[in-house]
Amino acid sequence: MRLDCNGLKFQYSDSEVAVLDNLSFSMTGPGFNSVFGPSGVGKTSFAKLLVSRGNKPESNISTPGIHTILYSYNMERLPGWSCTGTHLDKVCPPEKEALKKELIDIFRLKSLLNARFSQLSMGQQNRMNLIRYLLQDFDLLILDESLANVDEVLRETIILGMKALFPGKFFLYISHNLMEVAKFCREILVLSEPIKKKGSFMVQGQDYKPGYSLDRQSFEGTMLEIMDAF
Amino acid sequence: MLFRRIYQFLIVFCLGLVCLLGIKQIFTLSDYVIPGLPLIMETSGLVSVGYLLDVINTLSVTVLGQFVSIIMAFTVGILGRKSSWAGSFIKVMAYNIQAYPIVALAPIIFILLGDGFLSRLLIASMICYFPLLLSVLGVMTAPVKDIEHFYIATGRMRWQLEVKIRAFENLSKLTTVIAGSATLAMAGTIVAEFIAANAGIGYSIRIALYQSDLAGILVALFMIGIVISVYQGILETLGEKVKTRWSAPKGGELI
Repeated sequence: MRLDCNGLKFQYSDSEVAVLDNLSFSMTGPGFNSVFGPSGVGKTSFAKLLVSRGNKPESNISTPGIHTILYSYNMERLPGWSCTGTHLDKVCPPEKEALKKELIDIFRLKSLLNARFSQLSMGQQNRMNLIRYLLQDFDLLILDESLANVDEVLRETIILGMKALFPGKFFLYISHNLMEVAKFCREILVLSEPIKKKGSFMVQGQDYKPGYSLDRQSFEGTMLEIMDAF
Repeated sequence: MLFRRIYQFLIVFCLGLVCLLGIKQIFTLSDYVIPGLPLIMETSGLVSVGYLLDVINTLSVTVLGQFVSIIMAFTVGILGRKSSWAGSFIKVMAYNIQAYPIVALAPIIFILLGDGFLSRLLIASMICYFPLLLSVLGVMTAPVKDIEHFYIATGRMRWQLEVKIRAFENLSKLTTVIAGSATLAMAGTIVAEFIAANAGIGYSIRIALYQSDLAGILVALFMIGIVISVYQGILETLGEKVKTRWSAPKGGELI
């Protein structure tokens, strides 16, 4: 399972500056990897390109061993005509009922299954949305700020829970949280602003698993390395 | 909502009547040109029951015509929502026909179908169909990306679900347009009755017009206003009930 990108260039038709210019890197899966960088450097653009062009012969992106790519983002909504629990039931394959229950426990959503989506807070909405994706068949799941507005403690619980429940899946985590990315991701693609002309860098993260003990020195080293890259 | 509609109409009608009586007083016009209040009241006593039945007759055609046009608008709007050749053709055609005053086609319909129920129904439907179609097309062609993304990405999207999502997200717009189209349908039916029909309030107004009976016409306008206000009020109340039932759990509140 690998994600390779070779000389990828992308420019919006109404812009004179390329969002992604000669982007080349390689990531190995399964596990938690990340795309990190300041706003506007092309993280979401890259994610969308990956979904639309991944594995196509003419594309600069190749994903050997990855067949199904899903993309989740933090502004998604569930339809409002029935309660969130009903929506989860409808999109959950019968063989994944046990997984659904486990995810609901980890994501702490049990008390909200009778509520409508519009009645949830933004963090609760994002958690509810992410569960839907985790119940589908996928090889690579892109999490584009999918845990935004969730408190840090719960976010850590969720990420560690996902690592334990999906050891064979590839996650591409897009976030602005430096500590979180450095702590839980294995390979971090750092994109810098085009104006700085620094290009992109791969940084090795700490990739902590459940029950980890924090090595402060190497953790701070990773964070410094990421900061230095962008 | 229902009562608000009625008293709003009563205020407007009374203001119009006062203006008319004011003009009569200022220019000292005879009752033949603008009837006085006693003559209006007397005429009202004589014709109001008959006119009420006529308005209900017109309303029945209006309701049926509106129902037909709603069904047609949703059918065509759903079929035309895709950016396919057929979809684009339907949209372009609807926009162009919308720009044409449909009521001008009424004489052709009467020549082809003659006087009677079918002609009135067809004109009522045609007049409120195109504005409805444009609204339905607008709603159905605009993707709700935040909701639809998941279903498209996971291969769960079906046309029924797509229509349901788009209709639900635009429920307020659709109910407002449907309630608003009642006036258009009523106008269409009355125009049809003016031109060539043998029943309805438009037919009665035509007779009053030939007799220069402005008092009768004012009574007819009052009856039309009251009945259409009640009908629109009922439509709006039904729309609110649908919205509340569909979007909030029992005992819950809309946030």
